[in-house]
Amino acid sequence: MLAVLAWLAASGIAVLALVRVFSGHPPAPPGARTLTRRELETVRAAGLAIYPRGGAIEPSGEDAGVALHADRFVRAQAPQTQLLVRLLFFAIEHATLVFPAPGPRGRRRFSSLTAEQQIAYLDAWRTSASFARRLLFTSLRAILTMGYFADEKVLGALGLSAQTIEAPRIEADLLWPAIGTAATGTGALGSNSDGTAARS
Amino acid sequence: MSGEVRVFAQYDHDFDEICDAVVVGSGPGGAVVAHELAAAGKDVVLIEEGPPFAREDFVLDGAMSMARTMREGGLRTTRGTIMPTMQANALGGGSLVNSAICVRAPAFTLDGWCEEFQLRRSTRADLDPHYLAIEDFLGIAPTPDDVQGARNLLFRDGCRALGYSSEPIARNVRGCRGSGECFTGCRSRAKQSTDISYVPAAVRAGARVLTSAQVQRLLPRGSRVGGVAGQIVRPFTGETSHRFRVHAKVVVLAAGCMATPVLLQKSGLTGGSGQVGENLQFHPGVAVMGVFPDATHPEFGATQGYQSLEFVEDGFKLETLWAPPGVFAVRLPGLGYELKKNLSLIPRAAIWDAIATCNRSKGRVRARRRGMDPVLDWRLDPKDLQVLAEGLWRLTEIFFAAGAERILPGVHRLPEEMRSLDEARVIRAHDFRVTDFTLAGNHVFSTTRMHGDAGAGVVDEDGRCHEIDNLYVADTGILPRSPSVNPMLTLMALAHRIALGIAARL
Repeated sequence: MLAVLAWLAASGIAVLALVRVFSGHPPAPPGARTLTRRELETVRAAGLAIYPRGGAIEPSGEDAGVALHADRFVRAQAPQTQLLVRLLFFAIEHATLVFPAPGPRGRRRFSSLTAEQQIAYLDAWRTSASFARRLLFTSLRAILTMGYFADEKVLGALGLSAQTIEAPRIEADLLWPAIGTAATGTGALGSNSDGTAARS
Repeated sequence: MSGEVRVFAQYDHDFDEICDAVVVGSGPGGAVVAHELAAAGKDVVLIEEGPPFAREDFVLDGAMSMARTMREGGLRTTRGTIMPTMQANALGGGSLVNSAICVRAPAFTLDGWCEEFQLRRSTRADLDPHYLAIEDFLGIAPTPDDVQGARNLLFRDGCRALGYSSEPIARNVRGCRGSGECFTGCRSRAKQSTDISYVPAAVRAGARVLTSAQVQRLLPRGSRVGGVAGQIVRPFTGETSHRFRVHAKVVVLAAGCMATPVLLQKSGLTGGSGQVGENLQFHPGVAVMGVFPDATHPEFGATQGYQSLEFVEDGFKLETLWAPPGVFAVRLPGLGYELKKNLSLIPRAAIWDAIATCNRSKGRVRARRRGMDPVLDWRLDPKDLQVLAEGLWRLTEIFFAAGAERILPGVHRLPEEMRSLDEARVIRAHDFRVTDFTLAGNHVFSTTRMHGDAGAGVVDEDGRCHEIDNLYVADTGILPRSPSVNPMLTLMALAHRIALGIAARL
């Protein structure tokens, strides 16, 4: 009898864990290719908590597309690094079990908390006495912040748009093509009699 | 003789090359060696793991730029004291994505090297001709006022008000437009990174350059080395394909001081001294943002245009700094609307930093079981922590002397904002912990240090391995300890000397 109860309890916990981790996430936004819809939802929610709409800079993290930027950033990483970043997202999403957000139902997964709870939860990580917790938060914020500032609307709001640069062609431009383009007709330089480079 | 640059798309089979000298790594050390040897008429193959970047390959998005130009996607950190550090993975190495600072090491530092590491030909007077050769080649000159921008000139003003020395930073730049994009690659092609300076010159002199080619081991030949072997790697993915071997009379390792020890360890060439990969040192840095009453237009100006060497003998150097906004915004306090309010101060801000010599803080580089990336163990010594804290205080002084209305130090357990020097005096009394700082360590050295005693170092003053007479090292690993200032120019001067020595022997 005891064994059956234990089995039922374990099964119940497993079902709850599966529901918590896998169910009820919105579909992934178009263009996402690497992160799962669960991970994208964590990033979207964190992006909105850290960069809400309005205030001193109008665009929100969601407006700036931080989730899709994170997707591209993770895709550009080696498999081992991808795993670490995904573990970071998982930790943020589910550490509410260990560090619950204030208010009712504070142990729900991060992306299901209210906006106020999400902000309070992340601020507790930011100001934590634990270096490890602060480090995880800083890592998350770094990914989101770089995504936020990759958006031209954000840069434009701060007057930080990049210069338009028309640079002259230089000797090195004869030596290699842009990455991923055809390589024919480049690669070698000869020398003219005056010592300047000549394409060969 | 006509040289060439081969890119990933051109490799379609395994291959072997034969040459006089093979140079591994095209950064500031390797490119200088390759050029000088080729110019001396030697048959040179220069190998670079990363791809060459054309102007259109640069992206301004800080995260994606790091992912494309750095090993480990720009997310490498040390263990022990956790600190991010980077290693470039591109033709031109670190020179492609650094801020072009070229400073000669102070005489007292080089004298100290000679005394402590039994060196006889490495004083400032010994290195000055080599410094000069590099400076002439790259057109190194102090940053002119017209591209300084307010955030650099305010630093000068603050230093002057306090009576601290300051100077425009000398850089390897021709025609800088002050776009502040050094760290993501110079779209103006003004920065004379080695991919567009020394490498083309080496090619013109006949050098063959293999890009997207990862050297994985050295080929033994009796008690010497006979060349290197490796595989072609696809840009950005690291996916390997064709194999290659380059057979050479001389091998020069300039893969960077975090990669060269790995290559030696993977090749079983750690020697009897036990020094390969030891003595890992960094210049950890702290940065502070100050906010001024008027707009500073920080998007304009040389990335790092001004410096103060006032405190170099005390163990730290002060300098101005600009980076992709998304990178330094990570340090700003707050969350939500408060964070946005702080971010909105950026148009009136300047960011200045202190880098510390940290000669007491050492670690080691070890090879991972798989792959060519290193494990970096390093700890910040508590006494060096105090030096960083002193640097933080001096930056604060300079900000308020320059007229800042507030500073945001970005240090845990300190107030997030300080509005006067009096308020900031808390820095002087604070009991700092290592984990309070958000450190970054981007100058790295000493893992294959030169030493007059073969039992205490890896290479001699000519960069030649004590135990293998046709194997040389020409990256910052050979610096016996901190050069007290940014290391690129000193490395290039040493590489120039090493190349002349090899050319004379070949």
